[in-house]
Amino acid sequence: MIRARLELGMGSHLGFLLWALLMVALLPDHRLGLVLAAVVGFGLLNGGAGLGVILRPRFWLFILSILALAPFILGQPDAHWGVFPLSREGLETGFWMALRAWVLMLTFSTTLSALTVSQLVRLFDRVGLRGLGFSLGVALNLVAVLNDVVASAYHTIRLRGGWRRPRRNAPLFLVTVVANALQYGDDVVNAATARAFDPASRSAQPGYQFISRADKAFMAGLLAIAVALALPFWG
Amino acid sequence: MIPGHFTIRDWVYIAVFGALWGALEMTLGAHLHVIFPPLADTFFTGLIMAGIGAVIALVGRTFVTKTGAVLFIGVITAILKVFSLGGMVIGPVVAILAEAILIELALLSKEPPPRWRYVLAGSLAVSWNFFHKFVMMRVIYGKGINQVYTKMVQDGSATLNMDVAGAVRVIVVLFLIRAVVGAAAGWLGWDLGRMVAKRLSRT
Repeated sequence: MIRARLELGMGSHLGFLLWALLMVALLPDHRLGLVLAAVVGFGLLNGGAGLGVILRPRFWLFILSILALAPFILGQPDAHWGVFPLSREGLETGFWMALRAWVLMLTFSTTLSALTVSQLVRLFDRVGLRGLGFSLGVALNLVAVLNDVVASAYHTIRLRGGWRRPRRNAPLFLVTVVANALQYGDDVVNAATARAFDPASRSAQPGYQFISRADKAFMAGLLAIAVALALPFWG
Repeated sequence: MIPGHFTIRDWVYIAVFGALWGALEMTLGAHLHVIFPPLADTFFTGLIMAGIGAVIALVGRTFVTKTGAVLFIGVITAILKVFSLGGMVIGPVVAILAEAILIELALLSKEPPPRWRYVLAGSLAVSWNFFHKFVMMRVIYGKGINQVYTKMVQDGSATLNMDVAGAVRVIVVLFLIRAVVGAAAGWLGWDLGRMVAKRLSRT
């Protein structure tokens, strides 16, 4: 299968997320199938990003659990399954609830999975949170280092026989991990200071275009679809 | 909360505690989801991860004493969680941010927060775990879920031969368990922060 890939920016992804959430909130239940189709289409055009969640058993457990419970719990019983009374009205309500959950979960999955770290860092820089972008970069690098920090602390205590008294030495382990992580942080501070990095200043690079022309065209398309979905309902 | 007042050291320390919390969410959180059945994981997994997250955030607050530090630690953690493998992360992301906001609110003060504020912050943060499932289910499934909960309480009470007031008492106990675990997390966060600071002042 040939996968097309949209070259949309972060503005489009966040715009699509807001659009889908509004559609779920405003449209009647019987139009949610169209929103689901739009979300799946968006995911496919993004190279299938985020659609992998439907292969997970937990996803289907989430969706099917409400579909399984609703006929027994909601509405007035008007049928039977063995000795258990069922409600067709409950089944229908459960179906719409499951469909809404499906749309929402796929929406978050397809939009958030398309975000990249560099997009977020540039967004933070653009809105005056350059330090937060810097912090995110440090955190991402530190996650890889933490494994060594934890292993080092664990084996240091183990070699000194510390784990023979786990209750007494567990706080020592925690203190060592946090202290070593902070000392790594101090090295990063020294490196950033030596490079005259200032988290309060704006980047000297050209401003990041949060919303490009392609994004604006995409969002205009979404608005048109929203009107098309909503009008027959209101009309 | 003015981000411009954060120094490089503040931002790096926010990254350190965000990375610690995020790494635990990605590793321990994933393992706990496997161990505990999915329909029970709000109580077990959620409670454990909320408690640990509160401890880490509060220790971080000991080192970055400015208003907003815990919120930014939560934002970093939430972003790391989004980028982790897993797919269905919106629930944990909302929980992380809600915890961070509640801790921040509890610690709002011109004076350095004393121990009791840490205990309050921990209690509030972990207590969110009680409301989290209801809020997320309402958002994801819509208003029909209210009927499901009401009917489940009524039917559950009838099956267990309890009156509805008894079921409500059980729910209150479940809430209090979370509040107590959170208070313990706040207490531990206070002590752990001071132990780490003492260790660093010696090196």
